[in-house]
Amino acid sequence: MKKTKKINSEKEAFEFGVDSRYKTNAEADTEALSLMKARLERMKYVTKDQVVKAKLIQLRLKMEDYLKQPVYDNQNHFARFLESYIDAIYSRRIDFAKDINVSPVYLSQIINNHRDPKEEFILKLMIHSEKAFKHIVVFHENIWFQVYFHEKICDTMNRQDVWRPKIEKEVKLTEPIG
Amino acid sequence: MDNECRRAFNRNSKVKSVNISPVVRSDIKSLTKRRYFFDWKKEFSTELYKLTLKEQNDILGIISLERIPTEWRVHIRLLTVSSENKGSGKIYEGIAGNLLAHAAKIAVNEYGEMACISLRPKSSIVLHYISKYNMNITGTTLSLEVPEILDLINKYEKD
Repeated sequence: MKKTKKINSEKEAFEFGVDSRYKTNAEADTEALSLMKARLERMKYVTKDQVVKAKLIQLRLKMEDYLKQPVYDNQNHFARFLESYIDAIYSRRIDFAKDINVSPVYLSQIINNHRDPKEEFILKLMIHSEKAFKHIVVFHENIWFQVYFHEKICDTMNRQDVWRPKIEKEVKLTEPIG
Repeated sequence: MDNECRRAFNRNSKVKSVNISPVVRSDIKSLTKRRYFFDWKKEFSTELYKLTLKEQNDILGIISLERIPTEWRVHIRLLTVSSENKGSGKIYEGIAGNLLAHAAKIAVNEYGEMACISLRPKSSIVLHYISKYNMNITGTTLSLEVPEILDLINKYEKD
């Protein structure tokens, strides 16, 4: 009877909570050291395939984070995500270009922000990602388009001082409203 | 990484959508020790997340984290589920698992293939964590790294 009660209370404790706070810095340091040693040992057995999976999941999480808020930092996010995606899977970018049937020069221009991707390029990227993520983690098919347009919107709204004076001069409202 | 939408299960195995989002100052008043086991007011200066059912305010679980970039690690300081969700009469399954998966996502987002989450449960419940989440044990510390950390993320996205 006592034993059953103990097992139940242990299970409840398991479900109720964990307190992992270190009591002293010395305790934290000692634990950290032995944990790191053990992790480095375990890392030796991590396969290349598992590393690719981790990188792709990381990329998806970063893309989702980026979409959650307006970002005004003059960075080319679409190109950076594309670069990370290709480099996670391929050792040579030219092989990715071949796989999606575009020229390496065109791919390089997109990555280096020398030209905008055409709709067809993003569609190809979408299909390629569907195949790559299929057995790894959920990857929403519209995410590349979302990133691309999110960046366009953020950039446009951030550069109002550049385009607004000229555009405002060209726009009138002649019909009375309200 | 806030407003993550995942799922928990109620007693009839019906799937419920949940949100995981940062704990805000107005939440602190409701985080009583009686219902949430720890003194969460003292943790407010750390990174704190709450799990709620989607579009509801009632907090079903809380986790506090410490990011340790020099070790590519996210350490779970405290984790709890609300009192009505423990034991045999609990209302929802998967609250702790969802919170752990959230910590795993933060770690993978930050540290990629080097990502690690760690915690130190009482020795009496270590085996539960090892069997349920496939954790590794080093001294008194349990941890999840690649590949198991990826499995945890997947599990709570698919469940």
